[in-house]
Amino acid sequence: MTSPTTAIRTEALSRSFDGRLALDGLDLEVASGEVLALLGPNGAGKTTTVRLLNGVLRPDRGAATVLGLDSTEDGDEVRRRTGVLTENAGLDDRLTARENLEFAARIRGFGAAEAARRVDDQLERFAMGDQADLPTAGFSTGQRKRLALARALLHDPEILFLDEPTSGLDPTATRDVTNLIGTLARQHGRTVVLATHFLGEAGRIADRMAVLDHGRLRAIGRPDDLAAELWDGIPADIDLGRPATSSVLGLIAAVDGVIHHEVRATGTTINVRDRAAFARVLHTLSTQDVDVFGANLRRASMEDVYFALENSFATEREPAT
Amino acid sequence: MTLAVSRRRGRRTPVDWPVVWSIVRRDLTAVRRSKGVVIPMLLVPTLLMIVLPLVIGIAARRVSGPTTSISFLDAIPDRLAEPIAALPPQEQLLTLVLGFLLAPLFLIVPLMVSAVIAADAFAGEKERRTMETLLHLPITDRDLFLAKLLTGMVPALAVSWGGFAAFTVVANAVSWSYVDGLIVPNQLWLVMIFWVAPAVALLGLGIMVRVSARSQTSQEANQLGGAVILPLIFLTVGQSTGLLLVDLSVGLAVGATVWVLAGLLVWRGARQFTRDRIASTT
Ligand SMILES: Nc1ncnc2c1ncn2[C@@H]1O[C@H](COP(=O)(O)OP(=O)(O)O)[C@@H](O)[C@H]1O
Ligand SMILES: [Mg+2]
Repeated sequence: MTSPTTAIRTEALSRSFDGRLALDGLDLEVASGEVLALLGPNGAGKTTTVRLLNGVLRPDRGAATVLGLDSTEDGDEVRRRTGVLTENAGLDDRLTARENLEFAARIRGFGAAEAARRVDDQLERFAMGDQADLPTAGFSTGQRKRLALARALLHDPEILFLDEPTSGLDPTATRDVTNLIGTLARQHGRTVVLATHFLGEAGRIADRMAVLDHGRLRAIGRPDDLAAELWDGIPADIDLGRPATSSVLGLIAAVDGVIHHEVRATGTTINVRDRAAFARVLHTLSTQDVDVFGANLRRASMEDVYFALENSFATEREPAT
Repeated sequence: MTLAVSRRRGRRTPVDWPVVWSIVRRDLTAVRRSKGVVIPMLLVPTLLMIVLPLVIGIAARRVSGPTTSISFLDAIPDRLAEPIAALPPQEQLLTLVLGFLLAPLFLIVPLMVSAVIAADAFAGEKERRTMETLLHLPITDRDLFLAKLLTGMVPALAVSWGGFAAFTVVANAVSWSYVDGLIVPNQLWLVMIFWVAPAVALLGLGIMVRVSARSQTSQEANQLGGAVILPLIFLTVGQSTGLLLVDLSVGLAVGATVWVLAGLLVWRGARQFTRDRIASTT
């Protein structure tokens, strides 16, 4: 039995197309109110997962339970309580922004007056009031995403599925959308599944990350926990103003507790067993008269973990090279 | 697995009509704004139902002897031809052409309108990439399919019946000074309008549902659909011109046959119209 604090649970969820597995035995559990980043390169199976969770696709094997309901058997009830931002905004360009939203509101069962009120609220909230009565044909990608997100939120869904919410957006729009999603998750306690191949700022707002690769779940957890599994130790950046020379790297490598070091454009990134080792490195550099402009021991970012995982999959796939 | 499927089939939810009509209304609003759909949809009925009877009415004024219409009358059954042959020449021509020969031709209107709209409603939705949005909404597959059928059916019937009303006015106006009473509506036209035309509209839908499942764009669907529907138009018109004039009961039977055929096509279409299948092809 699924506990009330579990929003999503899948067991061996699988689906293939034309005999090729797009999703292969996914076991996943997402807590209520959690923001999960579903990561992976193009074709990893993220969209397929969202479609299966929302009962749009039927699994070949396994099952998905969303809000205690079977996604296939009770698909419409699941969809009543979820909101989806699809990869493509899916707006009818012959309709105005308002008409696109009102249509979704009516389908979700709101009467004319209530639908109009909700649509007005959303347009206001997403700063689309001025464009409300224009056909969406002339909208930019950013405006489309915002409008589609507004539509996904019309009915205060308990779970929000966001498929590539920032793809095609410029940096400012990306930040705006990401902030918005962060606010939604934090203030309203919504469960969010954020599927993306582009980490960008997603890492900032997600509690946990799940990494898909060729339809298989390769890792899931908090970035810190995954980092600890991936690498022993803590990463740290040392700013030398230019790439570290081999003599400097030699000095660093010789320090007790340094596990790994790598050249960066502005110096080096190292991995140390503990904080004391980091202090020893800085001490060594200063006694050897190496100019250090900055040094920072950092917590693992989702990005670090993701790229490290990606690298490890790649080497697994091509062991010869 | 078998258990799950049978459980699903066993549970029947009633049709959610407000949702169905919301989809129909939105589809028709969008269609009204597409010139590529509206223009052919209005052009053909205007030519057939207004311009053609006007031209025939004007032509009839030039008929002086019985020669022209006699050759027509030879071709049709005596039972129908005899009462017409007894009429004066102008009246013969008008009664024959407007009252009978145009009736089968009129079937082009519901067939074309329903096919053009269905291409937009099924393949067009894929093309515009709005289908996936629909699939993520709480609409049963059955209601979505029903809505799409109505989206085609409503304008097909509206244009057919509106066109027929216009035709009635024009046909009677051009023949007013030659003919006693009204030429249309007569029994044949009523059978055409209320029995055969809706069946033919549904047939157009049934064909386009199939065609759209295989096409990625509405243009592709229209081309593919045109290839199927055009010969069908000639066949229908050709056959029914002969058949329907024989007897009214044959007209009813032709209608019944089209209903059955259309029903089968639509039923097959409905069975294959599942979220999973649509999502797999988008
Ligand atoms: N409808 C479909 N027909 C055929 N193959 C598909 C279909 N949908 C997805 N796939 C395949 O399944 C895999 C996963 O796709 P998808 O879930 O869209 O990945 P992602 O969203 O992570 O980019 C890909 O190899 C893709 O080509
Ligand atoms: Mg995708």
